[in-house]
Amino acid sequence: MIIERSSDWKEGFINKLENQEPWDNWTLYNMSYEVVKANLIEEFSGLQSPKYLPNLTPLAHQLEVAETVISRMNGKAILADEVGLGKTIEAGLILKEYLIRGLVKKVLILAPASLINQWVEELHYKFYIPAIAFKKNTPIDYYDVVVMSMDTAKKSPHKELIYAQNYDMIIIDEAHKLKNHKTKIYEFVQGLKKKFCLLLTATPVQNNVFELFYLISLLKPGHLGNYETFQSSFSASKHSLEHDEYLRELVNQVMVRNRREETGIEWTSRRVQTIPIEFTKEEREVYELILELKNVSSVFSGAFSMITLQKEMCSSKEATYLTLTKMRQNCTTQAEIDFVDGIIQKLMALETNSKAEKAYEIISEANDKVIIFTEYKASQVYLQWYLNSKGITSVPFNGQFNKSKREYMKHLFKEKFQVLIATESGGEGINLQFCHHVINYDLPWNPMKLEQRIGRVHRLGQEHDVHIYNLAIENTIEKDILELLYVKLDVFEKVVGELDDILSTLKKTI
Amino acid sequence: MYPHQVHDYLQKFFKENNCEIVHGNEHYMTVQLTVDMDKKIMNRPFHWQYIENTNGIPDPVQLTLITDQTKLSKNMKGEVVHFGSPRLNQLFQTTNKLGAYVQMYERVSNNLETRPILTPWLGVNYKVSYYCDRTKEMLYSLGINLMTGEVINSFQESLVTKELDAQKSERAFLLPYIIKPLRALDRLDAVIENIIQQEDHAWAEEAKSRWQKDQAILEHFYEGVEDKPECYEMEKRAMEEQYEARIKIDVVNGGLFYMK
Repeated sequence: MIIERSSDWKEGFINKLENQEPWDNWTLYNMSYEVVKANLIEEFSGLQSPKYLPNLTPLAHQLEVAETVISRMNGKAILADEVGLGKTIEAGLILKEYLIRGLVKKVLILAPASLINQWVEELHYKFYIPAIAFKKNTPIDYYDVVVMSMDTAKKSPHKELIYAQNYDMIIIDEAHKLKNHKTKIYEFVQGLKKKFCLLLTATPVQNNVFELFYLISLLKPGHLGNYETFQSSFSASKHSLEHDEYLRELVNQVMVRNRREETGIEWTSRRVQTIPIEFTKEEREVYELILELKNVSSVFSGAFSMITLQKEMCSSKEATYLTLTKMRQNCTTQAEIDFVDGIIQKLMALETNSKAEKAYEIISEANDKVIIFTEYKASQVYLQWYLNSKGITSVPFNGQFNKSKREYMKHLFKEKFQVLIATESGGEGINLQFCHHVINYDLPWNPMKLEQRIGRVHRLGQEHDVHIYNLAIENTIEKDILELLYVKLDVFEKVVGELDDILSTLKKTI
Repeated sequence: MYPHQVHDYLQKFFKENNCEIVHGNEHYMTVQLTVDMDKKIMNRPFHWQYIENTNGIPDPVQLTLITDQTKLSKNMKGEVVHFGSPRLNQLFQTTNKLGAYVQMYERVSNNLETRPILTPWLGVNYKVSYYCDRTKEMLYSLGINLMTGEVINSFQESLVTKELDAQKSERAFLLPYIIKPLRALDRLDAVIENIIQQEDHAWAEEAKSRWQKDQAILEHFYEGVEDKPECYEMEKRAMEEQYEARIKIDVVNGGLFYMK
């Protein structure tokens, strides 16, 4: 066994003896002994951190997570609580515990750029951990706790700088960004030394079970076997899972997940409705014509562009128009161009947008603050105009907004305007508990994006039942999207566990 | 530590360091720091360098520390200090630096006919920490008689019952030590190691088995891979740092004690 001792005290003692330096104060001597005694960590197990944080009242499930991660998972874990249960608090408790116990000194926290300041502030005010946000040329050798964006970290020269540090603990927020093992960021994290490591994500599985495999292999390579063994035992096909139980148990050894209803906190409930919408005759005609395109021109034969056009047609003519005119430029024969022009003409002649009308109906009925999520910027602009023409005020929200603009828009929404219209990238890191109506104007392919959206309002502090309206147009691609969403949710629930409602339970009837 | 304990601690700390408490009650205090204390805890070396180089008038800070905000009016401005706050940790460390070495004499009564004889002792307080992926700490207070070499446990606790002074009484007669203090320190160091060896070290065994388990998982992942990538070695190093059992011995403080 290695025994370390320092000779500092002895040297000082020699100085006092030989150089006749004055001795220290007896009262301070006793106080010093008493302090060490009071701060002594007498047990290997148990949490010290709460007594150092009198101003923080962690919830029972948060303390439990911290203890489980330290005592059962040895400080390497995926924190996968549902959105809004306080994963940051859990990570803070664990980090604080290791700092107090002297097991961790240098810490690297990777988070999306939009959440960096939030991390720094929370660590500072709630945990008294002096974290700094990385800026260009921050000398990271001098700081013990650094918060950086993933995009910055993976690039030179930061990458090399980070590798040169000896970090004791790595915390990665929104870790589902690491689901693809072929990305630079995955490779970067793989190359990091992970003595203690926390991966935070509410959505460890988004599309298929391999994402979980790669996430866990990053944390603890081999825990789910290597790729070949995992593939042969767990995925005859992507969506059928034979050894669900066994896999779940393995996963639970490295992952903690709390669900809202297990926390013992009174949660307001989710009221999810899937609202079927009928196209008008004119809209249907344009939609059918768009489907025809792939037979008319090779420009439209690609599956991806066809899907995009169909989805856009389900959203707004503005969104469709932009893509259609862009693709028209690739058409060569007059027949192709004429056909496309015909569609554009009919498209622009459309006077009603059935979905927007439905959205308006919901907003007027709610008579309250509403968030609308759309996938397209053109639809966002259109909806703002359309609602305005109906006398409803709204603010836009994008992920690209800088911090002060985000705060300002949030403020406007809270104080003045009735509706906030957000594009997908606005989904992360904004908390809007004061609102409890969410319209999913367009449906994403990934169910976890829906969960992230709902999580903006259905989190601690929400006092009302949360109403979620998923809009889907009948007999269009949106029906296929819905079906796929159900399949993916099924995979998630089999491997990770139950999910709070995302899609309405009437799913089978659609 | 409860707010009132923190309050007592601060009061005692500043008094012992000659910092005047200008005003305050049971829940806050405004302290006039001395130049010395300002340099120790206010973290502004450049300011002091400037004052000294320009022969400026020293301006140590007046600090208002709040120990229980709930009992004060909201307008009260000051630094909130509680167990775990950075300020208190800093004062703990300062206390430790300022109370590391003492030389004390047991008080003798003046009305005895014979001159009382005081025996020299070396007292050392040790903190022993066990580290693997977890930690545990123990405090040992040892004293060694510098005449006989006798070692006793709980030395600090035995001192508390006695009246000690920093100045030797005129009447007291000090026995010269036979064992030199540094030799005695070496002996205590050996004693503490011996104590550690007698302890139950199941914790280290358990850490080792956790380590082996993780190691096996890692090997499984790279089974059949001929040229193992760099991250394999990295993972192995991380495990070593995470689980390897280490014991650290720190001296909290210590000193020479002349006792009846």
